[in-house]
Amino acid sequence: MKKRFAKIAALLCALTMAASVVTSCGSKDDNSGTSGAKTGELDTSKEVELSIYVIGDRPAKQDEVEENYNKLFKEKLNCTVKTNYLSWAEYRNKYPLLFSSGEKFDMAYAASWLNFYSLAQKGAFMNLDELWPTYAPKNFAQQSETAKEQATVDGHYYGIPSLYKTYSAYGPIYRTDILEGTDWDGKMENLEDYETYLSYVKKEAPEMQPLSIVQEGAEIDELFMQERGLYPVKGALGDFLWLDPTESNPKIFTYYDYEETPEFLELVNRWNEAGYFSKSALSNTDTTEVENGKAASRIKNMGTYEGAHIQHPDWGFKFANFVSDVSYSSFMQDAFVISNTSENPERALAWYDLITSDEEAFRTWNYGIEGKSYQIVDGQVEKLNLEEYEENPLWTARTPGLFLRVFGSPADIPEMEASYDEHIKEDQGCQKFRAFNIDTSKVETEYAACINVHQQYWWPLELGYTDPVEGLKEYQQKMEAAGVDKVIEEFQRQLDEYLKNK
Amino acid sequence: MSNMATINSNKIKLTKSRIVFNIISYLLLIALSLACLLPFIMLISGSFTSEQVIRFEGYSILPKDFTLEAYEVVFQNPEQIFRAYGVSIFVAVVGTILGLFFLTMTAYVISRKDFKYRNVISFYFYFTTLFNGGMVCTYIFYIQYLHLKDNLLALILPLMMNVFYLLIMRSFVTSIPPALIESAKIDGAGEFRIFLQIILPLLKSGLATIGLFLTLGYWNDWYNAMLYINSEEKYPLQYMLYNMLQKQEAMAQIASQAGMSVENLPTNALKLAMAVVATGPIILLYPFVQKYFVKGITIGSVKG
Amino acid sequence: MKKQGFLHEFKKNRTLFFMVLPMMILVLVLSYLPMSGLVLAFKNYRFDLGVFGSDWNGLENFRYLFVSGTGWNITKNTIVYNLINLVTSQGLAILVAIVISELSGKVFKRITQSVIFLPYFISWVIVGTFIFNIFNYETGVMNNVLKTFGMDPVNVYSIPGVWPWIICIFNAWKWVGYNSIIYIAAITNIDTECYEACDIDGANIFQKIWYITLPSMKPTIITMVLLQIGRILRGDFEMFYQIVGNNGQLFDKTDVIDTYVFRSLLTNSNLGMTAAATLYQSVLCFIIIMVVNHIVKKVEADYALF
Repeated sequence: MKKRFAKIAALLCALTMAASVVTSCGSKDDNSGTSGAKTGELDTSKEVELSIYVIGDRPAKQDEVEENYNKLFKEKLNCTVKTNYLSWAEYRNKYPLLFSSGEKFDMAYAASWLNFYSLAQKGAFMNLDELWPTYAPKNFAQQSETAKEQATVDGHYYGIPSLYKTYSAYGPIYRTDILEGTDWDGKMENLEDYETYLSYVKKEAPEMQPLSIVQEGAEIDELFMQERGLYPVKGALGDFLWLDPTESNPKIFTYYDYEETPEFLELVNRWNEAGYFSKSALSNTDTTEVENGKAASRIKNMGTYEGAHIQHPDWGFKFANFVSDVSYSSFMQDAFVISNTSENPERALAWYDLITSDEEAFRTWNYGIEGKSYQIVDGQVEKLNLEEYEENPLWTARTPGLFLRVFGSPADIPEMEASYDEHIKEDQGCQKFRAFNIDTSKVETEYAACINVHQQYWWPLELGYTDPVEGLKEYQQKMEAAGVDKVIEEFQRQLDEYLKNK
Repeated sequence: MSNMATINSNKIKLTKSRIVFNIISYLLLIALSLACLLPFIMLISGSFTSEQVIRFEGYSILPKDFTLEAYEVVFQNPEQIFRAYGVSIFVAVVGTILGLFFLTMTAYVISRKDFKYRNVISFYFYFTTLFNGGMVCTYIFYIQYLHLKDNLLALILPLMMNVFYLLIMRSFVTSIPPALIESAKIDGAGEFRIFLQIILPLLKSGLATIGLFLTLGYWNDWYNAMLYINSEEKYPLQYMLYNMLQKQEAMAQIASQAGMSVENLPTNALKLAMAVVATGPIILLYPFVQKYFVKGITIGSVKG
Repeated sequence: MKKQGFLHEFKKNRTLFFMVLPMMILVLVLSYLPMSGLVLAFKNYRFDLGVFGSDWNGLENFRYLFVSGTGWNITKNTIVYNLINLVTSQGLAILVAIVISELSGKVFKRITQSVIFLPYFISWVIVGTFIFNIFNYETGVMNNVLKTFGMDPVNVYSIPGVWPWIICIFNAWKWVGYNSIIYIAAITNIDTECYEACDIDGANIFQKIWYITLPSMKPTIITMVLLQIGRILRGDFEMFYQIVGNNGQLFDKTDVIDTYVFRSLLTNSNLGMTAAATLYQSVLCFIIIMVVNHIVKKVEADYALF
């Protein structure tokens, strides 16, 4: 039997070997994609079809929209564009695989939350150092220095950041109609005021959940930290490392190092006991509790506020920003990349330049067909027949000036944005750190482990589900075991270097 | 089952232990049946309930109100649903027929005692349940070397072979007396003809059982569609459903990370209505096939 | 010698070889060839260099599985879950099969058998929604029932230990119709004379089940158990993901290899790590089934899987 088994094992082994020979032969010709740009004018004599990957479901009448914009692109650049959708159910698995299968396509949506940095480092995208300024000059000229730095990985451009400014403003989106006629003073400037609001909702509208929290993360912790002027080292939420931008040589720290954390935990325990949010929040996937009237408030950004207000203009939605030092969110939250397998990167960039600078091209690409899928009302865009048409999900192509507010959007948003614009100064406060991109490659293992520990131990802690003292100790112990010190040490080194060059 | 039924009706005297057993059995089966039936009824009644009622009062056995809202949304684009039905039926039919034929043929060969390499070959198949390339390697290989992207073969081929089915099928084949094969051989029939004309007709219950398993496997599969199918017109029904169900969560996650607003979300009732539509006709297959597969077999091991 | 043997066998059974060939080729192409990609487990994968062009990086990809002891915990969880599942799923299916076979009402049996097949059709996404509706603290069905009986509500989400059981019970429920088919077939196969002899001896129904039905089912049960053990390091990702999701509170007891790898892939897109996890699962499954099979063979050679 042993002998027979050995034979089988040998056979299987041989098969696997054969397989690697077959496959390695095939892989030779994969990397023949174009690299390096030729200088000079774009040659549009040959008609090409560009293909792009975006995330979303293909709208029912997308064919019509595609035909419409291709007429324009054909005339302007002698090209057509085929949009491929990675649907909502598959993007998490398929997005990284897309770049590994050797499939030939030209462009894709990318984003920091889709691991742009990690993918760029691993060679998933085409180097744009020369291509971008040469073939998309208008886009390149409009980019801020910060944005360009954010798009830099290992000294090279691998993606084109969005031109659209979004703000790190964050805070409660809350209904005021339910407290009308009560003695609530309407003040909403900090977490204390918010706590008052929640207690009023509990009392006056007991059938409602005062604060809606879903399993994607509670974000009360991040609000607490940013209210104290701290900056998330990653430049986006969903991380565990912070720094104080007012220090001249800021030290990176995490929650258990911070002296006010016990105070924070006390706060969430109080909220938990008072029943302001669900005791099973971490398994709740219903993200529309506020929009459908089950909950009174949630903590989010201005975009969510805008959406809620448009949906229910009569519910008296308001938004209060608690972030004391607002800065521009990373411009790489939405980005555009060229695939390594692209055969026409020049044309792809020229096309991107066109849709981000030309109003007609921008509108046919983003909004579709005027009168059918959108119309312009008072300088705002009203989307029509949403079941059949949807805005193109290449969210990165939102050029200020061309991108219009959605019809019915709340009137106070432009004011708020103006005040943030006035507040933000390059090289000051949080904005100073915006161009700092952490490079996780050296501590990839530890960083992934820490994120996992953070989710497992901090999330229940930040909702008051575990004991504030014991739980914090356990969290610290697990983070240390996962190698958080090594992560901090590495990021600190990168940060010091960044500040030296600043 | 038929022979069991005869002993039961003829020989059973209602002894005390029998009464106890019957009471326990009926209670158990009724409880289990309820546990299986109620969620299903909740699903159906939920699909006819309005969104607000589900949100505030949860699911219930009897619909608290009645509306066709959700179904109107599901069928607002009927050609999409019917096309998805078409894809699912095509994949299930072609896959089941091909799978049944080749599986049975393979099972027949490895059940033949006079075939020296039957155990090696069985193990060759079994080994793939222990070892596999995993999602990543398999995906890269299928797309890059087999060019299965957006190809319906990617839905059919991977589910054709299943070791569990192979073992069951072999047990069915083994229950056929070998003398039948011998005598056919003496009559001068070739191996393939013996298989086609003698073995296959005797395997009705085996074919029904494995056919049902294969069909259900194909019908419920959305995973391969997720990985390999890109164009919407090739989505099978289950994947269309799965995609709709995932949409809300995925969009919310994106909205929390990118600064955008979420609109136009599918609703709870819609989820359930989609589930009802997707399960639809396949559920009738089971009682229909049931009468064929109650014949006795003992599933055997990898070695024969 | 060996070659001659093969040639001889090939000549003798040429048609049989050709009949088994299509499936062998299919499995070779679809299952064996992709295994070559597992070299990824030892590589620092770069998209521009491809699977075979990337540099080797030794065991680095395995390190992440075991950093901070997570690897042991998720391995343990996966095995514990599979063992509980083995008992609950197969146990329920065997019980149902015996009971259905012993009862006499034909119509009742038919209907029951069809009804218990229904959960198979409810996808995990929907089951997940139902589970949240049952156990959710504020508005869940369970706590509403407890409250009407004047008892204190229970927060099931703060007790991670019960979740492997909850998951297994739902899994058993979902598969009971499917799994029992094979056991019913095995019982039908039992020689009726055995039962008749038993009746003459005056044995009661419980004795008959214990002394005849169960022993006759033994080969089937053992084969099913061994087949399950061959998958002991794999978890049904979809089931865990839809029931537990991102709820970190429960990870201590419910995080299995497949879910951990999925989450890691979301944070760093490192394909080498996923390949390492796949290889780890495969090798462990292989070792465990080899050992178990060897033991079974020592005890009762007929019941061994191979």
